[in-house]
Amino acid sequence: MAVTLRKSIPHIVMIAYVVIILLPFVFILFSSLKVNNTEIATHPFGLPKTWEFGNYKEAWVKAKINVYFFNSLYLAFSAAVVGVLLSAATSYAITRMKFRRTSNGIYQFVLIGMLIPGNVLFIAQYLLVQKLGILDTHWSLFLPYTAGALPFSILLISAFMKSIPQELEEAAVVDGMNVFRMFFQIILPLTVPALVTVFIVNFLGNWNEYLLSFFFISKDALRTLPSGMVQFRDAFQTNYALVCTGIVFSVVPVLILYAFLQRKIIEGLTAGSLKG
Amino acid sequence: MQKKLVSVLALSVAMSAFLAACGNNDNNTSSPSASESPSASASPSPSASASAPASESASPEKVENFTVSLRHIQITDAQKFRKAILDDVVKKTEGEVPGLKIELDGVQDSVNRFTKLPAEMAAGNPPIIFDVFGGAGDTQKYASAGRMLDLTPILEDLGLKDKFLSGVLDPFSVDGKVYGLPIGGNTEGIFYNTEIFQQNGLNPPTTWDDLIKAADTLKAKKITPFATGNKAAWVGNMLVNTLIGRVAGEGTSSGFITGETKWNSPDVVAAYQIISDWESKGYFTKGELGKEYADMLNDFVAGKAGMMFDGSWRSSAFKDDAVGKAIAGKVAFVPLPAVPNGKANQTSVNANYGEGYGFAADLNENELKAVKAFIKNMYSDEMQLRGLLEDGVLPSMKLSDDSVAKVTDPIVKQVLDVLKNAGASFPHFDSIVQSKVNAETENQLQKLIAGKAKPQEVGDAIQKVQEAENAAAK
Amino acid sequence: MKTTLKNPYVYLLFVVPTIVLYFLFFIYPMLTSVYYGFTNWNGLNTKDYIGFDNFVNAFKDADFRNSILNNVYILLFSCGVQVPLIVVFSLLISQMKRFQGFYKTTVFMPSILSTSVIGILWGYIYDPDVGLINNILKTFGMDPIYFLADTKWALVSILITNAWQWMGFYIVLILAAILSIPRDIDEAAMIDGATGVQRAWYLTVPLIKPIINVVIMLSIAGALRVVDIVLVMTGGGPVGSTEVMASYMVNKAIKFGDYGYGTALSIIIFIFALILTALYQILIVRRQEKVEY
Repeated sequence: MAVTLRKSIPHIVMIAYVVIILLPFVFILFSSLKVNNTEIATHPFGLPKTWEFGNYKEAWVKAKINVYFFNSLYLAFSAAVVGVLLSAATSYAITRMKFRRTSNGIYQFVLIGMLIPGNVLFIAQYLLVQKLGILDTHWSLFLPYTAGALPFSILLISAFMKSIPQELEEAAVVDGMNVFRMFFQIILPLTVPALVTVFIVNFLGNWNEYLLSFFFISKDALRTLPSGMVQFRDAFQTNYALVCTGIVFSVVPVLILYAFLQRKIIEGLTAGSLKG
Repeated sequence: MQKKLVSVLALSVAMSAFLAACGNNDNNTSSPSASESPSASASPSPSASASAPASESASPEKVENFTVSLRHIQITDAQKFRKAILDDVVKKTEGEVPGLKIELDGVQDSVNRFTKLPAEMAAGNPPIIFDVFGGAGDTQKYASAGRMLDLTPILEDLGLKDKFLSGVLDPFSVDGKVYGLPIGGNTEGIFYNTEIFQQNGLNPPTTWDDLIKAADTLKAKKITPFATGNKAAWVGNMLVNTLIGRVAGEGTSSGFITGETKWNSPDVVAAYQIISDWESKGYFTKGELGKEYADMLNDFVAGKAGMMFDGSWRSSAFKDDAVGKAIAGKVAFVPLPAVPNGKANQTSVNANYGEGYGFAADLNENELKAVKAFIKNMYSDEMQLRGLLEDGVLPSMKLSDDSVAKVTDPIVKQVLDVLKNAGASFPHFDSIVQSKVNAETENQLQKLIAGKAKPQEVGDAIQKVQEAENAAAK
Repeated sequence: MKTTLKNPYVYLLFVVPTIVLYFLFFIYPMLTSVYYGFTNWNGLNTKDYIGFDNFVNAFKDADFRNSILNNVYILLFSCGVQVPLIVVFSLLISQMKRFQGFYKTTVFMPSILSTSVIGILWGYIYDPDVGLINNILKTFGMDPIYFLADTKWALVSILITNAWQWMGFYIVLILAAILSIPRDIDEAAMIDGATGVQRAWYLTVPLIKPIINVVIMLSIAGALRVVDIVLVMTGGGPVGSTEVMASYMVNKAIKFGDYGYGTALSIIIFIFALILTALYQILIVRRQEKVEY
């Protein structure tokens, strides 16, 4: 008896923790399906009396969640892809090509970026994109997102590339391969695990980014999900059911991704933080 | 470092020039140009590119297409009446100016005022036509920096200068030159729920004693006396402003920037003392520091509160087809009653003509033409009257009594009566003082509400910023 | 081989785009920050060099001092309350044979979500009228608490939300370290009759000290970086009770156009971050390493 009790205490503690994590989601999910505020206020915990799926249609179109969603998706994706490719190319050049001292200098130079906390550069970047005339365009997010990922990505990918044996390339050179084919056909495929990790970290970072997207973009049609959601909340303040629907829309895709890629995501994010 | 930036800039400039060139080409194809006509292409002209500009200059009546950007803030459902007026003006203006296309860009009010416009002004590229506020923090600041178009010649041309109500152009003027035009006006006063007042046997809040009695009675019945939402404290500042005007005198607000009046003078502090007293008596919504402006209307519409102190623009919310339809017909508007021991004429009310349109400096001939047509169409008797009838916005220009008599909306009638019976008027200080002072008033009001500052401390703190800003302006 | 991998044009092609982007969005902003920080630029008028005035004013500015204090509270909370809890939870999960994976993925989940969405979500949890917590209080007949509108509660509410989002992340980090400890040490101790708590405290914790140090470092960095959640949930209010350095800086620059002052604040934040990191390295990490050797 005492033993089983002692054994179950950790589980009870952990289940309490899990409930605290999940309860907000359940509350939001139920609220999103309720008719109006009164039903949320009077029956906060119960299932909705009638399932109001109409909220979802309304939020998707009226609140332009669809627009925010696709903006986020393509910006997060393209910036992550370009960031990974640029970092891979640079890492290749500085780890595999024969310009030792220059490479070392570049490497050190790029790593300075990891010392600077993100929001410190906020104002200067704001003034920069303003000067470049790209404020209020997607370029004003794409470029900082891509650039912001470089130091960490180069750090991780170079470490990985350094561990690839030289012999592979020697053989390739004998076969008469040029440097591009070597990069794309030999090195890149071998680096895929590192590239995937870097991609996930960058993608999630871009997908969730709020500060820049809120202040650099003011055209509603260009907003991304995090800033669009805040705008949406401010506009529909008092229609709780509708705002909860918006939250569901922005959370579910990430959770689905997480369900499929959880090991890779956990690995990537924790590795990301440790290197940083 | 500078070099690299310069080269990037040069590149982007080149890109935009290229894009602009493309745009022009697109436009040119719509107009009949010589190079497209079969005769031109058949004839052995020495160079096609040389003939094109020649033919352009040869035909003076050729229509050149161009676009003019227009920033407005009518983006929510509650502003649909105002947007309809804008759309009609835009359509009419486009019809009058050949080749003109007006591009609308709708942005939320505070985003435009506090984020977008300041950034664009800093970069020197505001839209050609834009929504702007009057006063030292907005129009006057931008105009002094040479960013806004001097409208004085246009107004003279169109004969508009004397059509505006007296004084309403002042917040939009610098050194006698006009840089912006107020679209309309409002006054801030008390909306009350007539049904709740009847049910509780209360007199309309037209005297100070009735007001206090109503507040105490409602409070005892667990109905909030005044709905409010001070997450952004401009909402509470409406009442502060009217109290300052009434208690300390009509000229108080305009004296702050000249140093004639002071925020920490006993009169102004007395106005803050009233707010402080009402706070401690629990007259305002609980948790008001977490509530938005929209919450104030919602609480009032839901019958959770008996009164709210708000701008007359809110009257259109209580129409049958608007957000406050639940209490349509049960709302009345009165000015703040006479405040005991007030220095001002106690029938004086607040009147604001703070928001309107401004225009970018350095326009080309076509853009100037478009701006002129826009002003002519927007600032007309017709549109002013429509604003009053459809949107409950008071005209900023002189309308005939016949026109005003067309008003049927009961609340708008009450608002007009309030202004007609007012012995004097005073503006809101937010259209007079510098933006940092205004920010400090919001900051300090919240401290007062939270019980973190006493009225005297509030006055002292704001006066300190006021003096620093006044000194910096010299 | 030599020639292929020594082609300078290819090298430049691979390196230059990265360097340009990196320079433009890291180094150039850093340099301009330093430059603007010594001017009174307001975005409109000419920039004047004003020496250290901005920095002096920053420390005279009661609102900025208040925001520093709030950052300190966040830092103390995350290091003093969160980190011990994180260690305890990690130890608990590591001892489990069943559901370990389930607990791990669940507690980690909030850290992949957008902070702004979490801010909105928790705004509703805290709502005085329809919120989850106040509904629970209501069933016990208690008055609602105005979490985000009350100066006494607002910062605590944000701290809890922040902990809710990030604790799982750190738990997973520490858990991985615990699980990589060879089992045989633990088993030997078990045979010697050590209890679970004893084994955790005397065996496991000393072994995972390096990773705990990393978590503390990350918490310090995180405490200085907090801004999204504040902007979304309270905007720094009520009455500055949740204002942090970064949110204050953003508001000063964007809302009031005080670019000179704002960038000066950002440099101060940067210097704080450097000092804290260096101090921690010197005082804690170094000393521990000496003891270990």
